[in-house]
Amino acid sequence: MKLITYNFLTSKCIRGVKVGYPLKLKIVQKEVVQTDFNPEFITRLLPRLDYPTVHMAAELVDCAEGVPKELGENYAADQDLLQKLHHILLEIDIIEGQLECPETGRIFPITQGIPNMLLNEDEV
Amino acid sequence: MIDSGKNKNSKIQRKHKRCQAILSRDANVECVSHPTKFIAICNAGLSTGLQKETILEEALKYGRVIDIVMLPNKSYCFINCYNEDDAKNIFDNMHGHAKLGQNETIIYLSYIKEIPEAPNQYNQDLPEGLIIINDFVSADEERILLEAIRMSEEPLENNLLKHRRVKHFGYEFLYGINNVDPEKPLEENIPVECDALWKRLEDKVPDRLALVPDQLTVNIYEPGQGIPPHVDTHSAFLDPIYSLSLESDIVMEFRRSNNNHVPVVLPRRSLLIMSGESRYAWTHGITPRHMDVIPSKEGGGLTIHHRTRRTSFTFRKLRRNRCDCAYPELCDTYAAEQKSNEDKLASVAAKLEEENVHKVYDEIANHFSETRYKPWPKVENFIKSFECGSVVMDVGCGNGKYLSVNPNIIEIGCDRSEGLLQVCSQRKCHVFQCNCLNLPFRDNSVNGCISIAVIHHLATEARRLQAIAEMARVLVSNGRCLIYVWAKNQEFNCEKSSYLHRNRNNRMQNTKSVSNENTQSLSSKSELVDLPVHMNRTQFQEQDVFVPWKLKSSGPKSIETTTEDGGVKKEFLRYYHVFEEGELAQLCARIESIEVECAYYDQGNWCVIFRKK
Ligand SMILES: [Zn+2]
Repeated sequence: MKLITYNFLTSKCIRGVKVGYPLKLKIVQKEVVQTDFNPEFITRLLPRLDYPTVHMAAELVDCAEGVPKELGENYAADQDLLQKLHHILLEIDIIEGQLECPETGRIFPITQGIPNMLLNEDEV
Repeated sequence: MIDSGKNKNSKIQRKHKRCQAILSRDANVECVSHPTKFIAICNAGLSTGLQKETILEEALKYGRVIDIVMLPNKSYCFINCYNEDDAKNIFDNMHGHAKLGQNETIIYLSYIKEIPEAPNQYNQDLPEGLIIINDFVSADEERILLEAIRMSEEPLENNLLKHRRVKHFGYEFLYGINNVDPEKPLEENIPVECDALWKRLEDKVPDRLALVPDQLTVNIYEPGQGIPPHVDTHSAFLDPIYSLSLESDIVMEFRRSNNNHVPVVLPRRSLLIMSGESRYAWTHGITPRHMDVIPSKEGGGLTIHHRTRRTSFTFRKLRRNRCDCAYPELCDTYAAEQKSNEDKLASVAAKLEEENVHKVYDEIANHFSETRYKPWPKVENFIKSFECGSVVMDVGCGNGKYLSVNPNIIEIGCDRSEGLLQVCSQRKCHVFQCNCLNLPFRDNSVNGCISIAVIHHLATEARRLQAIAEMARVLVSNGRCLIYVWAKNQEFNCEKSSYLHRNRNNRMQNTKSVSNENTQSLSSKSELVDLPVHMNRTQFQEQDVFVPWKLKSSGPKSIETTTEDGGVKKEFLRYYHVFEEGELAQLCARIESIEVECAYYDQGNWCVIFRKK
């Protein structure tokens, strides 16, 4: 699971959960996979993401250095920052770990890079 | 004093001009100043409450009429006169005089060059299977039959139904349930005076149309009374049904779906036989009114028939069984069995999807993936239509064949099947596992969704609707979603889908029942629900079916049969709900937050693109 995917996942489908976001991420094993950097793409993608969660994830994978808590207005001109965000969002792959619902503590395991977000019939 | 006569005249002329303008604009009819045999009534029509019979009654006072053409929802109509002289006489007497407009206002007429196309309703073919035998009983017999029912113990006059008087013989027709109780015959049988009719019928029609009925309903209609359009309950009575008209002619209206309407004149003492399509697929009824427009006996024009009291004898034979007709649209047996199937499906939906969708895809994941490598062009184009930096979710991404179509966007796929997700993961795609009924994504977060060949695996309409609603929820405002589902009709517009093309043997279509499959363990898989097994590469016969997937190798939970070359062949049953035309768009229309942009047929699928408001 790349951190771009993590940015969208919630547990709000669980009955009784109001927001279910962000999920608590625990990383057991991660990999770095190189992908092509496209600054325009990252620039346009960022407004579609929940930035505080991007930053929180960056801290979790020890890549927060040089990544601001809040995205300034001129981030598009900051090639260095875009490169860092590209790395955080698209190159770090969580292979083993878990996601936890912030409201109920329900665990969603990540195995072989695939988060299992399935819910039982009685949970929804 | 101002000359009020002159003033009034110019007022009429102004109004007249205005109506003519509307007429030529709306109906594309050219008004002319010289007499022709065609007349337009410019300011009265069906939308102002004018009836054909009212116009005709008035016009016939002055000339002969071939046809009255009235268009639905229009405030004008047309008279096709016998010749120019008839037209001139009608025009001179009615224009500015006849009070046939709304609230009895005066009507304005115009000569016109031609009358817009509208088929003469009496020139249509009769509904398939409808037969009218004129003079089926003599005047003497008519009198005897009428006496026979009057002499019966219960006075008919006491039997008041809302719009007409009714009496039953043999069995009572229970209007509350629209059926009869075969266990409760009435004391009074069909009068013996009717017995002679059945021998006579045998001589006149083929054997299959000559039943000896055991139920009779007598209706007495006074002028102004009628009966709403209805079909005789399929499961209650056999095919055909007979109706003997006594005392008066009547016009019976036959209708099939919205656009087929055939009025049929039933002459006094005729026998109407409703068989086949006309018995099962058409409704029939009598409009409550005092006069009917009917073809005149000579000259080919129309005339008015003033109704008098009519007594009808409707003879039927109890079916005592389920109906097995070929016309599901009005069939109560079909509807009841559909409903019971749906209820059964609803009770096992989740389990059925697990056994006959999720587990099967996990088993066949690799083989399935090998056969699904070529993206469909229209799906590809949809994904390519998103601008750089967009996020698109592929719900039910399968082996991920659409996950790397557009390098300028992020595509995140999800699927229920672990096996297929592993294929995606190996291809370095972004994926997670979930059920499409509950998307674990933030509200209003993605620019696009696709759902290709997924929703047809959900076993109830409520679940199919929920899956669409979930995609609507995660889309941002103005986000767009593309859905493909398998079509029941694999030959839309006479173009066979590639699914059928791949049937090299071009076998005849059929769906086999699970029970008579040679592979018996199939039935153990369908313990949940009894559905037909579709024969691959043929047209679908039912909407809810099992579709086999044949796999050459070994493993558990499959049917193994030894093939001729000694190999082992396994067959898996996947549950499908194949869609009727319009069904997918109608589902989408039930979700308020979205708007269907287009619906089309592609590669044997029904497809919809919708946009979130
Ligand atoms: Zn039927």
